[in-house]
Order: sequence, then structure tokens, then C-alpha cells
Amino acid sequence: MHPALHLYIVEETTYSDGEVIIEEGSQGSWIYLILEGSAKVKKRTPKGTITIDILREGEIFGEMVFLEGGKSSRSASIVAAEGQVRVGLLDTHKLIDDYEALPSELKTLISSLMLKLRNTTSKVCSIIVAK
Amino acid sequence: MIKDREQTHMKKVLSYEKGELIIKQGDYGISIYKILSGKVKIFRTYDGVEVPLATLERGSIIGEMAFLNKDKDVRSASARALEDSELEVWHPRDLVEKYAQTSIVLRIIIDQALSRLLRINRFMDQLAVRKSEQKCQLKTKEDPWSSTREFYRKEVDIACQYRAAQGGKASSAPLTGRIKDISMGGLCLEVLPRNEATTAHEVGKMFHIDTVLPNGQDLNVTAEIVSVTKRPRAVRLGMKFKELPDYYGTKKTLGFFLMPS
Repeated sequence: MHPALHLYIVEETTYSDGEVIIEEGSQGSWIYLILEGSAKVKKRTPKGTITIDILREGEIFGEMVFLEGGKSSRSASIVAAEGQVRVGLLDTHKLIDDYEALPSELKTLISSLMLKLRNTTSKVCSIIVAK
Repeated sequence: MIKDREQTHMKKVLSYEKGELIIKQGDYGISIYKILSGKVKIFRTYDGVEVPLATLERGSIIGEMAFLNKDKDVRSASARALEDSELEVWHPRDLVEKYAQTSIVLRIIIDQALSRLLRINRFMDQLAVRKSEQKCQLKTKEDPWSSTREFYRKEVDIACQYRAAQGGKASSAPLTGRIKDISMGGLCLEVLPRNEATTAHEVGKMFHIDTVLPNGQDLNVTAEIVSVTKRPRAVRLGMKFKELPDYYGTKKTLGFFLMPS
């Protein structure tokens, strides 16, 4: 894990197995960093909830809303997996400052990347469910 | 100096005709495209199968992934104009440096999002290939030849030689293939697509097929192609025997081989 990440942690929280860290569709702008343990990325589909990814130590989640400008809702749920997971909450103020310092072209490129991530994730879910 | 700045910000408008390739997967490049008009299909090619990722329209950006990827400036997907389209293209020369100066934490977050997207795209490859294989199997089931087959069909994997039979006389040099199943009525022959370069593999063509069955018996038959199924790396031919010449004992040989053990 990059040492700079630790400088951005403002708070640490522990979630126990199965506990929901982020709820799909809800509002929220915290960005999390997994310090210990792992978490499942789950998405709701017409045929039930499916797990689309597992995040491990050093992985960041919750960044999509932030990088999309903070207006969107959570695209997926994040649930603590395999025992307890310890996460760090990243300093949103610092990150907003970093983001605002970017040239506008760069912001455009980043939001395009986020849009693709969001759309592709939905697409892959519908393919899995259609099977 | 003013001239330099103008150059780095220079945006060109390019026109693409319907069907034209805009970006090719695997090529190097970090130019950024913005769709001004038209429709663009984004797809990957994996194991010979085209994997559609998205259809983008006016206002969408293409090419930012290669720019944001610090590991390589390689295009992860291709882009093709679905209709006559106009795209604005620019080279983010001056952005490279600015992006490098951005906070490391922000860059780590973007890197992770990018690798997640690349991982999902690779997963889409797997799903698409599986789907195309299923479609091939479905076609085999549906083809007129297999569904009307009245004989017990044995699944095998036997190497064989075959050559085109024209008017009863041997023509071109022998090719190799693998027999995937065989019955008293015919067989399924799998060949490499490159075999088609020298000999046409079309419905109605006749081939002589020579092989040695796993029981050690020689089998020489003439068969006609009744179905052709293209797979990503192979062509499957459904073949029906011309009457089996009984005087060579072919019927008996095959009959014994096909007896349920």
C-alpha cells in the first residue's frame, strides 16, 4: 500500500462479516480504503442480488460518486466478507482540493472513465443474469 | 510561444465513413476523441470473437483509458463508426505532465478504477467466448444433418487424412483433420480454418477420408459435406457417407467399432 494513502485516512472503522458498508442506491460520498480483510461488491438485479467482485486489502471503493462530481447515488453495495474488515475513511476535503486543481480536460477524461465503469458494470450484470 | 500553445491545444475534426475503424485494439496511442456526430461502436476482439462493449453517441469521449493508464499507452479496445461520424481529436501532450503532478492519492484512486474496468472488460471477453461456443453447439444440434441422423453416434477424437474427391479421382494433396464423432451414416470432421485456403469446404463437396480406428482397423470412406459450422479456431463439417463399399468390409469394420461396449 502506498504510504501517501495513510496520510489521507481520517477515521478507521471495523465492520463484521456480512455487514453493509455501502448500500446501492443510497447517497454518500465517503471514499474507503481496505486496511484489513475483504469486501464483496454486490449489485441488485431483477433476478436477485449478485456478487460481481471481491475487494481486498489496499483496494479503494466508493470513489465513483466522488469522481463523477458527487451527484450520483451509490452504484453497488459493499458488504464485509470473510470475517471482519477494517477500513479507513479518506479525507474528502483533501481529495476535493486535489480534484479541483485538475485542468478541466483531465476532469472530462476522468468522468468519461467513470461513466464507462458504471455502464460496463451494469452490462456485465445483465449478461450474467440472462444466463 | 503563442504558436506552441496553439499547437498543443490543436483539435482536429475528422470524418469517418460508416464501417471505418477509428481505433484499433493493441495499437499505441493516447489521442483523445470526442464524438461530434454519428455513432461509434466500442468492441474488443478476443479469441476470434468480437466482444461488444458499448455504442457511443454525440458527446462521448473515446481514448481516455490509454491516456490514464500509466503502465501502457495501448488501446484496450477498438472503435468503429456505425454510421458516418465526425470526431474531434486532440493529443493530450500537455496533460501528461499535469497528470503526473496530480496528487498521488487521486492517481491511485483513478488507477484502481481503471484496472477494475479493464478487468471487467476481460471478463466480458470470457462471457462472449462462452456464448459463441454455446451458439456453435446449438447450431450443430439444429443443423438438418444431425437432427435427422438415425444411427447411434459415437463421440471420438481420431486424427485422419482427407482430400477432395472430384469425379471419383483424387485431386489435391491430403489435408489433416480430426473426426469428432462417427456413426454408420456419417461423421463430424473438425479441421483448421487454414485448410480452406487450398480446398473449398462447402456443402455438397465430397472428400475421401482415411483413418485408423482406435481398434486398429483401417477406415477409408467417401463422404459429402452437409453442414459447415465455423468456430473461432476450427471448422466443423457434418458429413454423410456415400454408400459404404461393403466389399472392403467397411460396414463391418465400422459396425464393430460402433457396437456399444
